[in-house]
Amino acid sequence: MSAAPHLESPVAAAAPALAGRRAPRLFRIGPGIALPVHPRALIWSGIVLVGLIVAAVLTLSMGKLGIAPQSLPAALFDPPRGAAGFTLTTLRGPRLLVAIGVGAALGISGALFQIVTRNPLGSPDVIGLGAGAGAGVAICGLLWPGVLPTPAGALLGAMLAITIVYLSTGRGFAAPARIIIAGIGVSAMAHAVTQYVVSVKLRDEASQLAGYLAGSINSVGWGAVGIIAITLALCLPAAWALSPSLNQIALGDSLAHSLGIRVTATRTAAIIVAVVAAAGAVTVAGPISFVALTAPQIAQRLTRSPALSLGLSALLGALILVVADLLAQQAPWARGLPVGILTAGVGGIYLGALLIREWRKGRL
Amino acid sequence: MTPTPPGLRAHQLRVGYGSRTVLSDLSVTLPTGAFTAIIGPNGCGKSTLLKSLGRAIVPRAGAVTLDGTDLASLRPKVIARRLALLPQDPIAPDTIRVRDLVARGRHPYHSLLRQWAPGDTEAVDRALAETGVTHLADRFVSELSGGQRQRAWVALVLAQDTDYVLLDEPTSFLDISHQIDLLHRCQDMRSAGKTVVAVLHDLNQAARYADHLVVMHEGAIVAEGTPADVLSADLVREVFALPAEITIDPQSGSPLIVPLARV
Repeated sequence: MSAAPHLESPVAAAAPALAGRRAPRLFRIGPGIALPVHPRALIWSGIVLVGLIVAAVLTLSMGKLGIAPQSLPAALFDPPRGAAGFTLTTLRGPRLLVAIGVGAALGISGALFQIVTRNPLGSPDVIGLGAGAGAGVAICGLLWPGVLPTPAGALLGAMLAITIVYLSTGRGFAAPARIIIAGIGVSAMAHAVTQYVVSVKLRDEASQLAGYLAGSINSVGWGAVGIIAITLALCLPAAWALSPSLNQIALGDSLAHSLGIRVTATRTAAIIVAVVAAAGAVTVAGPISFVALTAPQIAQRLTRSPALSLGLSALLGALILVVADLLAQQAPWARGLPVGILTAGVGGIYLGALLIREWRKGRL
Repeated sequence: MTPTPPGLRAHQLRVGYGSRTVLSDLSVTLPTGAFTAIIGPNGCGKSTLLKSLGRAIVPRAGAVTLDGTDLASLRPKVIARRLALLPQDPIAPDTIRVRDLVARGRHPYHSLLRQWAPGDTEAVDRALAETGVTHLADRFVSELSGGQRQRAWVALVLAQDTDYVLLDEPTSFLDISHQIDLLHRCQDMRSAGKTVVAVLHDLNQAARYADHLVVMHEGAIVAEGTPADVLSADLVREVFALPAEITIDPQSGSPLIVPLARV
């Protein structure tokens, strides 16, 4: 229990009891299955899903090479020949699917990191995964080109970074605060490696990699779709299975333990799932910033639920990345920019707006 | 192995952190159906003993048994249906309401596919009523006063519906009236048939409200028994380094420790 004096928020105190239900709404199948359903999370998931579909249709239909929305359904099953078909099956189709998959993976990864570290800044970026991937890219792409493909460099760099974090906390993943501190240190070192590599190489050689370092899906193919699909197929069920225990860990390690949770095992499993999700995303898209940090934060503010919102985090991650990529493809001022630069903009602006709103309401 | 009697027992526990040993070769039996207070000066290992009894700390040697079964051989969820431990520093997530917090106590009865069990609603309602926070059920935990919040945490532990309830310094940081209120809740839990064990700081509160005292000093148990049997001027001077006179509490007839005037 906290000893700190508590300032009561007048707004929150004056508006009690919206809920007032004694039992949660349940999704039931027979006697064996009873899962609580959170109406706000469902409604917002529906809204975000509609937004995602709209953004996807726009992605495929805008511009000279786009396929008109009314002929999209037919084109999906029977791609037209010529330039439009090439755009759909080779250029924009895989790119759209990768955007959705990478965004969802980052959303899941960030949601897991935030609940495990009990810190709104917990994300694969903060604990050095993105920076490690960047250093891996720089080394494989510039320092020793041709030894390993660049995506493999990203994956190895990410894994090396997380291994160093794991070892340097001294207690593995048992101490949330140490994970973040170690991660910041590892990030700084990885950035130093990247900058060293970039600065010892010629500027124009380095600029080819600039896009990948910021995170880009400008030229992905079906192989990338496969990688991110497998990542999601592994991580989404695993994260869902861990989520009830993770919600209990949010009450503090000792109390969670008393409620029958294997705290360290659960936390370690969650970090592994989060790292695999982020590593899958990094492998196909490079270190895309801000999505993993923002999507779960937005999800939590929309649902106003103290529990993990995995599905909504994944959908929001996908929406952010698809919208950012749509801008990268179609907006004149953004054309050709790596999508990672835009995610920082799209996600960051919305998070900023939400934070200001919360601050005005006195909830922060 | 000889059959062990029922109840919660520690057998030759050795517990430490890093290179430091806090408890060594400590054995104790907690009387079933009683309210036991663990007392002792700061750093004597009383919280460590409580956490070891609740399996929040795994002992380096020895065992904790519940009705003769070694806790180490039980699944955590099975233990959690029999024994609850309220730590000193639980964390209330932002935006959690009191009812949702209390409902978290039902987790040991859930599974991955069944995250709400029959009887949950009743158990949560009962826990809210018994701790007097029913009227706060839909408030955010972050809006509550310290005393109200501690009651909500006790309600969570009650919703867990265990025979054994361990509380780690439950009265810390509370106003005196809330401290007494909480001790009354402990007595109520005891009267409802639970075995209650609490680490307490205040000797007079322990003497007045608990049925049984476990007195610790430098990692060992130096006395145990009813307050009247255990508390003596010698013990208070030796264990707590406090010259005091023991008189009788006029309200309850329990021992009352009165520090001696300075000469």
